[in-house]
Amino acid sequence: MAADPSELLKRYEPKMAKTVDLDRQMVTLRYSPCGKLLLAGDFDGMVRRWDANGEELQNLAPLAGHGGWVTALTFHGDGHRVFTSDSWGQLRAWPYAEAAPQPAWAVAQAHDGWIRAIACSPDGQNVATCGSDKQIRVWSADDGGKRHEFAAGEDVYSLAFHPSGALASGDLKGVVKHWDAAVGKCEREFDARGMYLYDRLQDVGGVRALAFDKAGTTLVCAGSQPKSGAFVQGSPLVLWFDWQSGNLKHTLKLGGENDGFVYDMSLHQDGFLMAVSSGQPGSGKLFFHSPDAEQPFFAATTMANCHALAVHPGGYRLAVSATNSSSNGNGRQLNGNKEYPGNFSPLYFWDLPQSS
Amino acid sequence: MAHRSPCKPWRLCKPWEHQLSRRHWLGGVAGGALAMAGLRGPALAAELEKTQKQVLFVWLDGGISQLESWDPKPGTQFGGPFRAIATSVPDIRVSELLPRTARQMHHLALVRSLCTQDNAHSSGVARIQRGDPKNRGVTYPFFGSAVVRLLGPGDSGLPPYMWVKPGNGGFLPGDAGFLGPKYGALALGDGKPPENLPRPESLTAADDDLRNSLRERANRRYAARRRAEASQANDQVFDMAAQLKKRMDLFDASTFPARDVERYGTHELGRHLLMARRMLEAGVRFVKVGSYGWDTHGDNFNGHLSLVPKFDQAFAAIIEDLAERAMLDRVLVIAMSEFGRTPRINGHVGRDHWPEAWSLAMAGSGLKRGIAVGATNDKGTFVATEEYDIGHMFHTWFHALGIDSAAIEYDNQGQPLPVANEACHLVKEVLA
Amino acid sequence: MPIFARSRKIAIALVLFVGHAKCAADEPLHVRIDGLIAAKATARVVSAAADDAEFARRVYLDLAGRIPTCQEARTFLGESSPDKRTLLIDRLLASVDYARHMQERFHVVLMERLGDNPQWTKYLHDSFAANKPWDQMAREILRADPQNEATRGAAFFYAKRLDHYGQNPIDYPGLTRDVGRLFLGVDLRCAQCHDHLFIEDYKQEDFQGLSAFFQSAYLEDLGLPVVGEKPTTEKTAFMSVFAKVPRQVGPRFPGGQEVAIPAIDKGEEYVQPPDPKTKFPGTLRFSPLSALSDGLPRPDNALFTRNIVNRLWCMMMGRGLVEPLDLSHRGNSPSHPELLELLAGEFVAHGFDVRWLLRELALSQAYQRASILPPGEPPPSELFLTALEKRLSAEQLLRSMLEATGERERLETTDQGKPLAELRERFVKALANAPREPEDAFSPSLASALFVLHDKAFLDLLQPRPGNLIDRLEKLAAADQAAEELYLTVLSRLPTDEERVEVAEYLMRQPDRRAVAISQLAWALLASTEFCVNH
Repeated sequence: MAADPSELLKRYEPKMAKTVDLDRQMVTLRYSPCGKLLLAGDFDGMVRRWDANGEELQNLAPLAGHGGWVTALTFHGDGHRVFTSDSWGQLRAWPYAEAAPQPAWAVAQAHDGWIRAIACSPDGQNVATCGSDKQIRVWSADDGGKRHEFAAGEDVYSLAFHPSGALASGDLKGVVKHWDAAVGKCEREFDARGMYLYDRLQDVGGVRALAFDKAGTTLVCAGSQPKSGAFVQGSPLVLWFDWQSGNLKHTLKLGGENDGFVYDMSLHQDGFLMAVSSGQPGSGKLFFHSPDAEQPFFAATTMANCHALAVHPGGYRLAVSATNSSSNGNGRQLNGNKEYPGNFSPLYFWDLPQSS
Repeated sequence: MAHRSPCKPWRLCKPWEHQLSRRHWLGGVAGGALAMAGLRGPALAAELEKTQKQVLFVWLDGGISQLESWDPKPGTQFGGPFRAIATSVPDIRVSELLPRTARQMHHLALVRSLCTQDNAHSSGVARIQRGDPKNRGVTYPFFGSAVVRLLGPGDSGLPPYMWVKPGNGGFLPGDAGFLGPKYGALALGDGKPPENLPRPESLTAADDDLRNSLRERANRRYAARRRAEASQANDQVFDMAAQLKKRMDLFDASTFPARDVERYGTHELGRHLLMARRMLEAGVRFVKVGSYGWDTHGDNFNGHLSLVPKFDQAFAAIIEDLAERAMLDRVLVIAMSEFGRTPRINGHVGRDHWPEAWSLAMAGSGLKRGIAVGATNDKGTFVATEEYDIGHMFHTWFHALGIDSAAIEYDNQGQPLPVANEACHLVKEVLA
Repeated sequence: MPIFARSRKIAIALVLFVGHAKCAADEPLHVRIDGLIAAKATARVVSAAADDAEFARRVYLDLAGRIPTCQEARTFLGESSPDKRTLLIDRLLASVDYARHMQERFHVVLMERLGDNPQWTKYLHDSFAANKPWDQMAREILRADPQNEATRGAAFFYAKRLDHYGQNPIDYPGLTRDVGRLFLGVDLRCAQCHDHLFIEDYKQEDFQGLSAFFQSAYLEDLGLPVVGEKPTTEKTAFMSVFAKVPRQVGPRFPGGQEVAIPAIDKGEEYVQPPDPKTKFPGTLRFSPLSALSDGLPRPDNALFTRNIVNRLWCMMMGRGLVEPLDLSHRGNSPSHPELLELLAGEFVAHGFDVRWLLRELALSQAYQRASILPPGEPPPSELFLTALEKRLSAEQLLRSMLEATGERERLETTDQGKPLAELRERFVKALANAPREPEDAFSPSLASALFVLHDKAFLDLLQPRPGNLIDRLEKLAAADQAAEELYLTVLSRLPTDEERVEVAEYLMRQPDRRAVAISQLAWALLASTEFCVNH
């Protein structure tokens, strides 16, 4: 890994290719493993689908039937199935590429309320979920049968499977746990408590995203170092842990207290982190960071607020789901038609330099 | 409603005959007894003073989201991620974040059709708590000061308007506006006694008695040959201090049963509502409990997921306790903020200020039980029924306490002043 | 006996009439004051003159803002010269304490605890140290001239009132009201929306006209402080809420003339344009504040002259000739109309000289009466036949308590005065009124009682330390000596026999806790009404 930032920039600097304004707000965004489809979970209980092959995005029939927000979507490694969850507690599996997909299976109350994350086990057998009901549950990827469940002790925000099959979770209070999911035993903990603050009456923060590198040597945890609740002021915070020893290898505290949380991230095969962050309206960032450096070698600040990052499997394209600018304001603000407008998510498409 | 002709002077006496020294502190009077703002109207004053009515005013500072509490709209454009749940009243559903309060709904009265004027905290908080009256060039009292003025201090011997809040305490005469400092609030920072109430540890009770008897003797000698006013005023405040010192038990949080502490919650809102229950049981006329940090412009949903259940726990506990102790007949309970939150969700995944359509919850004296009044439209953006401003609520609350808000007025040194905004009327549907 | 009674009354009336006629214009003011007080006394009993101790304490507090030290009290009581009171008055007026005390007093009167500003403090202090005439001070405060460095602090009067927050509008009505109350003695608040309901003299046009002087004023900088004006081109439109007739008024003095708004071409309004970088708000061709400052504080403005002499009278005597101090109108007669006119006239004739007037007031018999009531029915306070008990400000109490406990020097010199500043804050918090509540009357509170009872920082002043009161008293073996030192230091007088006995007995009862007993005796006096009021 070249340590020289200008070198990294030359090799990896993305350029914005196009913007597609959607009509409503999105929670999560992912490319399918084949790269042909782009899926997004929205605020309206729908999974949006687009054919992402051509120059223009082609709308496909959405996957309906969720309630509340569609909070997570994770593709099965087999390239046929996607697992989706919502904030009302439902978990579904779909053959995602069909013209009018019906769920392969559904669990109506996989959790009591907000399911925050889904992770697919490396052997493809299981899918793990976590939520605000403080439970972690493991389901059969084939039929949704419940395999295991255990109390995590706290609202769990993020999950990731280690290549070995171990499960990592990150919770509200900044505790990352290494689980033996089969028996529900917590093997050890990683300290990310800097991502949590109790301010007045409010628990602020949480480990918002977790990712392992391909080899499973490093666990990356991301969230915010909160300064205060209510408004929520805080700076994006990312921690790199050595999985084997448990030692903290690298810390990135990015930007200022308006910059908020890291919402989503992906580890590039060449070892650097790609992530999106969002805090106060207008503070959105897309940044690339090499863990042997002090600061990111690339940061884009033109997107108002960034909430999800989709990486095309081919490695040459990124999609960022954001929120429109001028999204905030007190009191009655009507549009030209005297209607009260909602906000929406622009999708920003970035092209990475073609790598050899 | 009595018709008043504002142009005719109501009084025959001339203003300069009043002892217009309007600055009293909790009983101290220098220069005449009748100097504070009086009351006009039928001879209700004496009647009202006999009443045992009290108020519990829970203030969620910053703006609790009505969509994440009293008026959920799940599955709509602005509904957010949470579900709605059934309550103990058929047809009333609240956010899933209020499970315990949902079970107490049969005691409660919700208003979901508030539409008020001010969308800023710094000015809005005072406007709401003063009832946003018409501008008459005077500073209107906060609701607590008004209640103490209209109902009298009660006979508990304790300060009649107490405010249990996080942070600092102190004496807040400003709450009383033109009524005068006597009707101000005594704020208890984190429920602790007022500054300088506890005797310093280095001073024993015996020594305190000795030195006070010296002081009293000195005062008697001084007063013997002089005008009465200054000496009397000074004696009165020392007497009140002595009274309050006798009730130090009120501030001792360690004497609450463990079961209560657990039910209300060990967080500050839980502890403070438990303290409030004790104040009400001791007969304090008006108890305000403040909670800060509700202004969730960012991360509104995780924020409310953390905040609302704490309110839910403590609020449900106190409703349950007041009902159990048969206190709901005489205590008027109000839980509210200075406005609600925008249906629109901003880029920080938050909601901004929304005075256009929001909710509050009430219970107790003079109100119907198990009822939700007013409605917003399907999306929760605007009020679909009659809009109620805070002035409507003031009329309603006064009536619930037995005060005819149309018939009685303040008399501010000759200036007649309505007790609530006269462009508003009471909400009949919610009164028993 | 009716004939006797009648002729006695006639006799008295004759005496008073003759006495009154004797108060010719060449008599010093204080003599004429007493003549007019006597004229209204109409057979009432009058208190005797205050004894030296009461007089000394009162005049120190009124002119120097503190009680006399033990030594000062002792010395004064021991002096035999017949004009020692006059000499004391002159000494105090010339002392450094005078300027500081007047600065503190006028700060509370003019700012009413709305806030502090070091430039404002300096402005007031320098003005009183130089004995600046009151009309000049009023001009400077009402002008808030951004170009006069020497009077920069004067702008704070407006600056703090032009500050605002949230969706609150700038409180121009509050500013208008305060100018009316504090400079003219008229509270026009109830005339904002209509003519005053009872006070015929207060018309809506008076309020709106006064308000028009400030409509274009704005806050440039609170700290410096700097206030600016935008161009004023139009009259103010207003309408009574009762008679909905649209009216207009330009800047107008209450009960007086309206200032014409000149027609100025757009772009020509400024003589010097504003410079945001230096926070210079510019100089206008037509500045309403200049017009106000030129036109209001004038010798021929009866409201202006009567207001200041009424307030100065109240400061010394405990009650205005017009009460309340800000409600002067034809339906609210002064208790002594001729006296008020005399004071106003003489004050103007002496060039608005504050020190001169305070001296005359202090020399009067009315000022020097005892607070102890005469036998029989107490006379009404507005006749000034008995000295009235006055409020002590937080500042006066702090200074006096530090002096009494012998802790002043230690606190002034420790840690660059930081503990003193903190103590001052505690005193103000416990003893001052809320903002915008004038501190005219003695109004003790639960906060003030608890402060005196239990405040640790205050009680700490009664710990024995080398040279302080408790230490000195401890070292006096004889109870009688201790009693004398205690009473002279704290109450500025000698103890009565009863008090001497009490002290002796009290000390005897706790022989092994002498320091504690002494500090209890001292505390009881500091906490007493006698100490906490200015009698």
